[in-house]
Amino acid sequence: MLRFLAKKLHFLQLLSQNSEDKQESKSRESSQTSLSRDITQNLKVLKDILGPSNDINIREFSFGYEEKVDAAIIFVDGMVEKTTINESIIKPLMYDSHLFTPKESQTITTSIDLIQRSMISVGDVKKVDSFDELVDDCLYGDTVLLIDGSHEALVISTKGWESRGVQEPKTEAVVRGPREGFTETLRTNTTLLRRKIRDPNFIFESMQLGQRTKTSVCLAYIKGIVNPKLVEEVRRRLKRIKTDAILESGYIEEFIEDAPFSPFATVANSEKPDVIAAKLLEGRVAILVDGTPMVLTVPMLFIESFQSAEDYYSRPYYASLIRTLRFIAYTITILAPAVYVALTTYHQESIPTPLLITMAAAREGTPFPAIVEALMMGTIYEILWEAGIRLPRPVGSAISIVGALVIGESAVSAGLIGAPMVIVVALTAIASFVVPAQSDTATMLRFVLTVFASVLGAFGIMIVLLGVLIHLSALRSFGTPYFSPLAPLSPRDLKDVFARVPLWAMFTRPRTIGWHDPQRQEFRLDPHPPPEESEK
Amino acid sequence: MPKRRKILFKLIIFIIFILSIAGCWNRRELDTLAIVFGVGIDKAKKPGNIEITAQVIKPGEMKSPQGGSGGGGEKPYWNLTSSGKTIFSAVREFTHKSNRKLYFPHNEIIIFSEDIAKEGIRKYMDFFIRDPEIRRLVWVLVAKGNASEVLETKAILEKVPARNIAQLIEARAATSQASAVRLQEFLTRLMSKTTAPIASVIEITREKKEKIARLIGTAVFKDDKLVGYLNKSETRGLLWVIGEVKSGIIVVKSPGGNGEVSLEIIHASSKIIPEIKDNNIHIRVEITEEGNLGEQTSAEDLTSLPAWTVLERRQSEAIHNEVRRALKKAQELNTDIFAFGEAVHRKYPELWKDIENRWDEYFPNIEVTINVNAKLRRSGMTTKPPKPE
Repeated sequence: MLRFLAKKLHFLQLLSQNSEDKQESKSRESSQTSLSRDITQNLKVLKDILGPSNDINIREFSFGYEEKVDAAIIFVDGMVEKTTINESIIKPLMYDSHLFTPKESQTITTSIDLIQRSMISVGDVKKVDSFDELVDDCLYGDTVLLIDGSHEALVISTKGWESRGVQEPKTEAVVRGPREGFTETLRTNTTLLRRKIRDPNFIFESMQLGQRTKTSVCLAYIKGIVNPKLVEEVRRRLKRIKTDAILESGYIEEFIEDAPFSPFATVANSEKPDVIAAKLLEGRVAILVDGTPMVLTVPMLFIESFQSAEDYYSRPYYASLIRTLRFIAYTITILAPAVYVALTTYHQESIPTPLLITMAAAREGTPFPAIVEALMMGTIYEILWEAGIRLPRPVGSAISIVGALVIGESAVSAGLIGAPMVIVVALTAIASFVVPAQSDTATMLRFVLTVFASVLGAFGIMIVLLGVLIHLSALRSFGTPYFSPLAPLSPRDLKDVFARVPLWAMFTRPRTIGWHDPQRQEFRLDPHPPPEESEK
Repeated sequence: MPKRRKILFKLIIFIIFILSIAGCWNRRELDTLAIVFGVGIDKAKKPGNIEITAQVIKPGEMKSPQGGSGGGGEKPYWNLTSSGKTIFSAVREFTHKSNRKLYFPHNEIIIFSEDIAKEGIRKYMDFFIRDPEIRRLVWVLVAKGNASEVLETKAILEKVPARNIAQLIEARAATSQASAVRLQEFLTRLMSKTTAPIASVIEITREKKEKIARLIGTAVFKDDKLVGYLNKSETRGLLWVIGEVKSGIIVVKSPGGNGEVSLEIIHASSKIIPEIKDNNIHIRVEITEEGNLGEQTSAEDLTSLPAWTVLERRQSEAIHNEVRRALKKAQELNTDIFAFGEAVHRKYPELWKDIENRWDEYFPNIEVTINVNAKLRRSGMTTKPPKPE
């Protein structure tokens, strides 16, 4: 305990030192933050900052009809659209500059205004006067135009790089429903969302996170539905992140989640724009991160893992049936091996007699106790699963043959493992795919439960389940009880828990999330015959 | 940090409590259990001792394809015997013979031999109530002969004789001519001051040199001693009164006179109503029954109203007779197998205090009225017998 304390203190000390260092380095750089009027001086500084990387292109040229003005454009090769640079920046400046004659009264400062206003035919152009900003934009695919004699530069948006197109997401396939998925490009992702929600109140707030990666992060919410305090809280937590790299939304998730030591995720993610749009419309906040197709949403409820987009696209009876099935599958996936171990080692009396005979016969001659069998098969399954993901595709079938035949079939026929255990583990494995959002937690829970079942039987299972239940009821995600609407119970919201009621009966948004603008739609929208015309 | 320590403290307390409240438990793998399917209790050769036969299954043999040309053909069960002064000591004695510990929760039958039942079985029941491994759902039987022999009869369709017997008991509902008594029911009757315990009866018949177990009738106890048996029809008479008739066939004479008619019992219920008339206890038994026409050997059309009414009347007469016979037998043996005493107790608790100890004097002479309300409902897939019009 004491050692832990000392470690913690030491760490805090390092932390404060670190931030002091950073401040120092910042102040050192600040001597050269603003541009000078001399273009050669500016270029020299820029070359200093950008270094010798060969993907940075600096093109110097001069333009003007009577009086030549020196200028330079700087861009990162591969991140820009060359045609835009050629056709909309260089061409107008070099060929059409004779049309532009600065009047006597105009200095070069006003002429940069003129260039911005009348010569650059690109949608997004802004004036910048600090090196920091200039370099940031340049490294994000914009083109910088430096003009001699001006202490400002033009940053022209020319972003354009190779990116994956909008494809069907691999992780969340649907039978009915939109098949597009987010991509690695932030702009594409915001577009996908904007196309779904054409509401002027739908807001994207952007910020940069990661001192070195300078990753663009976008906060999306619908003003009027979302709780402003929630947005404020998300913003505060995001601003807190002072790390050097954000490579995936998982990085952000770990920095902002409520219970970092809980096995349960309190930040949800999805790859599908329709899912994110639906969550935004319930009053959640989405966090889009450049460079990953996984978009985060907060707050997350436990029940969300059991709701699939398709539930809302298929008819309510079937959707409710499948919803129930998911709860059953989740129960199987966390409990099956534990219950099997508990039954065969403690509670043989509760197994129906014919089944007991079958199980006992299968156990005859197997060398290991049931718990060893369970853990062994569980581990082997996890290995196969992990190998299956990481393997190059063509080798995949080899793994399934080795896994299914060699380990499953042969282990049983060799008498190493009882056949029922193989069935239990296989059932568990299949069931775990039904609730993919909880499958990692389920795996951990399964192992813990199995171990407890082997020590204390059904009693042990109960202890763990109660512990988990208590934990889940105490857990919060951005101020929202994780287990709501079950604990605390809000009967109105049970409309979308065990059963999914028809969409026309879902008048209100979830109480714990979207209560800022509770009414989703008008009442009495259920299809009914038109009112009969009164006879005249 | 004190918060963290507090949580740790709570956790430790929690775990200590959990571990101490776990009752009796033990980790046993399936392959360390000898699963008992049936128990038989006989007199041992040594006077005063009893001999217990436990039928233990061999799971490996149970699974392997039965019989065939295999040759070995080992029995999938093993009958162990041991003896001792008490049941518990004899049961523990098994560990000298069996490497696996006997496991009783899946036991389905307890068979008492006739001679042990005649001596009184109260002293042997204690173990079965006290031991946590014994289920109250076990069937209680009395064997005409030795219990151990019954456990060695040939089970043709099942692999284990005990299981065969247990299923015979469940199947007797089709005739309702044999009693089925679970340990719970047996104990309730045993612990009642007036109601007499009953048990199923199992006997061994020989068919083509094979010993076959046959379930028939009812064993009747006075207090805890076997005093007599009810035959098939007397048994059904008893079951009518205690409302245990599930199904069965009543054969009556055809209304036309030539041929027989089988009536299938579909539903039956009963009420025992004690009454006091002229300072005398009087019992009224109301039996409601519904049946179907199941078979006729005559050629006449029975679905006409007059014939149908006659059938209904004969059906209730038949039931009436069965009950009458059972009652006669019970009064002869002076055993209140119908639980009339309990019915009186419930209705006249004040009066009961006086007669409770003299019930044996009342019962043989008690007057019983039997009202049977028997109905015929349907005639099966056809209305007329197969004959040319």
